[in-house]
Amino acid sequence: MKHGFISILPLAAGAALYGFAFGVLAAQVGFPWWGVALMSAFVHAGSSQIVAVEQFAAGEFVAGAVIAGAALNLRYLGIIASLADVLKDIPFRLRLIAIHITGDENWALTMAKRVNDPNIGAWFLIGSGITMISVWVVSTTAGALIGKAIPNLEEFGLGFAFTAAFIAMARAMFVGRRNVVACLMTFGVTVILTRFGVSGAYAILGGSLIGLAISTAARARAGDIQ
Amino acid sequence: MTPNQWMLILFLGLAAYGIRLFGLLGGQAIRNNARLRPVLEDLPGCLVVGLIAASLANQPVTTWIAAAIAVLVAIWSNNVVVTMMIGFMAILGLRYLGF
Repeated sequence: MKHGFISILPLAAGAALYGFAFGVLAAQVGFPWWGVALMSAFVHAGSSQIVAVEQFAAGEFVAGAVIAGAALNLRYLGIIASLADVLKDIPFRLRLIAIHITGDENWALTMAKRVNDPNIGAWFLIGSGITMISVWVVSTTAGALIGKAIPNLEEFGLGFAFTAAFIAMARAMFVGRRNVVACLMTFGVTVILTRFGVSGAYAILGGSLIGLAISTAARARAGDIQ
Repeated sequence: MTPNQWMLILFLGLAAYGIRLFGLLGGQAIRNNARLRPVLEDLPGCLVVGLIAASLANQPVTTWIAAAIAVLVAIWSNNVVVTMMIGFMAILGLRYLGF
């Protein structure tokens, strides 16, 4: 657990800046600092919170804001499903906690490290998840309390730091020629869907399902599955 | 907080956790099916590539060049922090140079 707690710190530092920016946004549309803290701890879904609060601020009804936020979170169907092997050795009640503290960053880091080290498992995921949710709650609350003290983070390319981190994680998960076509198709289909205005979550799921179909076909040809 | 703010937090939290719970139960069902088990091995890589693609799709050429640099660094280093730092410096440098 300690390993996970520490390994995620560079990514947590980046997430803290985003969390701060979300806190500023939420405070500007009328959420008190403790409300922001409550939302971050209870929902723990960065992009979904941002979209939902933006929709809410734009005058959308609660149902509309919730649907918009939840839609962006649909990728977690696949993310959490992929953790079945990681979570298989811990009690069910711990799994129920682990899935709440799992975010993009600690999930991807766990899966990337697990490729080379089978000992990386549920406790790494939980340790890194505790860091991420703690940093998320503290940073969003700080943003709501302190306000507009920081400049526009996107101007400095902060969003790309996460993309670069995910590129490294994809590299670590790369297992050989078998998944080259699947990766390329996932990438291509997701880009095309996004360019045609499909929302991020659906584009990611659509692209991933195409890639998955291709890798499954490749396994069948190679005789890996009947 | 207003009643609407309370409801937003409550229902968004329930929706977000419901999706995760559905994924957990679905993943367990897939794991128990020998024919579907390979899906769990291939799914993470596809999802990470999808996340990268979605974040790049509507970005300018500068970001794609920085992504290409990050891919090269990732292949060379196979290290998350090194790739993250050099990728971040690449996009800062490209923007500083006026790309």
